[in-house]
Amino acid sequence: MAVIDVTDLSKRYDDHLVLDRVSFSVEEGEVFGVLGPNGAGKTTLVECVEGLRRPDAGTVRVLGLDPLRQSPELRERVGVQLQETKLPENIRVWEALDLYASFYARPRDWRRLLEEWGLADKRDARFGKLSGGQQQRLFIALALVGDPRVAFLDELTTGLDPQARRATWELVRRIRASGVTVVLVSHFMDEVEELCDRVAILDRGRVVALDSPAGLIEGVDAEHQVRFRLTDREGTDPVGLLGGLPGVSGVTATGDEVLVTGRGDFANAVTAALAREHVLVSDLRIDRSTLDDAFVALTGRSLQT
Amino acid sequence: MNTLVKLTTVETKLLTREPGSVFTLLIPLFILVVFGRSITEGDTVLLPMALTIAIGLVGLYTLPTTLATYRERGILRRLSVTPVRPGNMLAVQLLLQLVLTVATTGLLIGVGVGVLGAHMPRVLPILAAFLLGTAAMLAVGLLIASLAPNGRSANGVGVLLYFPMAYLAGIMQPPDRMPAMVARIGEYTPLGALRQSFHDVWSGTGPQPTLLVVMAAYAVVLSLVAARFFRWE
Repeated sequence: MAVIDVTDLSKRYDDHLVLDRVSFSVEEGEVFGVLGPNGAGKTTLVECVEGLRRPDAGTVRVLGLDPLRQSPELRERVGVQLQETKLPENIRVWEALDLYASFYARPRDWRRLLEEWGLADKRDARFGKLSGGQQQRLFIALALVGDPRVAFLDELTTGLDPQARRATWELVRRIRASGVTVVLVSHFMDEVEELCDRVAILDRGRVVALDSPAGLIEGVDAEHQVRFRLTDREGTDPVGLLGGLPGVSGVTATGDEVLVTGRGDFANAVTAALAREHVLVSDLRIDRSTLDDAFVALTGRSLQT
Repeated sequence: MNTLVKLTTVETKLLTREPGSVFTLLIPLFILVVFGRSITEGDTVLLPMALTIAIGLVGLYTLPTTLATYRERGILRRLSVTPVRPGNMLAVQLLLQLVLTVATTGLLIGVGVGVLGAHMPRVLPILAAFLLGTAAMLAVGLLIASLAPNGRSANGVGVLLYFPMAYLAGIMQPPDRMPAMVARIGEYTPLGALRQSFHDVWSGTGPQPTLLVVMAAYAVVLSLVAARFFRWE
């Protein structure tokens, strides 16, 4: 059974259609990414799924329940980390966890969560004194304290430094390993590529693609490149050797540097041909398509702008 | 039940960690003690004034600032995705502010009567004036909280409203030295009705029913308006 089922969800603010017939489903135990530029409707989408907003049309089912009508039952089983929320400046870490644990019928032991999320030595620290990464870990712990079956994480790593981001990714993997289904909202390519089993790409309120990150990348028919340096230039004709291989669209040799461009799976053909002819190369680099390329191909623009 | 106890405990701790709430306790006490050296047993002005200031500060400053800050920080929104309704937070906050007001009032009367030697009128009229006046001022606080976009502006509005309201209430200047017309209007403001009622209680005449009704009306009407405009996020 799908944990989340969204069918033809639409939401309009004034004249602006924020969500346009969005459909997808999330399977039990997966990390599902919702990726898109700022303003694509990601947050509105998850807020409709969480029951914070009322959609204009379409149906949403989470664990088989309607988030608007059966919300009390649902809120017991769903953990949420919201974008741009804070706690009172003066609340201590343990007080926040203890308080939120009391909201649920069957909470997890918050002392163990403190350990698990590396907050044990910050137990008595006030929220306002925590670093960005520590605050984020506390928010994840609060999202998990009710022992949810689904966790929504919205822009989890925004505002964190690269090291804290990497550490947070590790934590998301841990949530997944514990069997909790995760919906991850992000505008970071690398994050989604790294963590998600499947990704819905949202652009201007519509799902433009839905697949695994690898599947999305494979689907892109963009040209990419293989570069290398010839160890021994004498007696080798890279253009003649590689020019005719399937998928290769161009070979340029500048001095001992060779650049091969092509589409599809031509890189393997190139390396195989070099090995067959006993051509020694160094500094071999394959510039593969990334999720970024997939995004540009699907939406016609780059996410990072 | 466990939830509400926890929520109340944590919010009480937060209140005591907030320097602002200590000030609402200390400012009226300071005024009472500094001016209270010249207090006489028949005083009908100073203690009612200090009590009115204390209640006014809670309604205009502590309550709206706390609530607007909670909304601004997304705390109410965060609560609405847990099994607990954010309305519980509102109820707990109102209860706490009421307790804070009771504590301050008790302290002021204790110091005024016990230390400075003011006389103690009958309890029931004090209680009537206190409850209705506090309800009116908490309603003013709720209204500010529902209209102010964030904590800072709620704070600003509260401070800005405090001075004209305190003036009209006859706290900055005794009402008999104010223009008669202004003093008359002032009596029908929430803070003015409260000060006048306390004054009447300490004078021995008992609060005027009209002013009690005025305060009750403020409490009901302003709460309804606040409820109409209140946003959780």
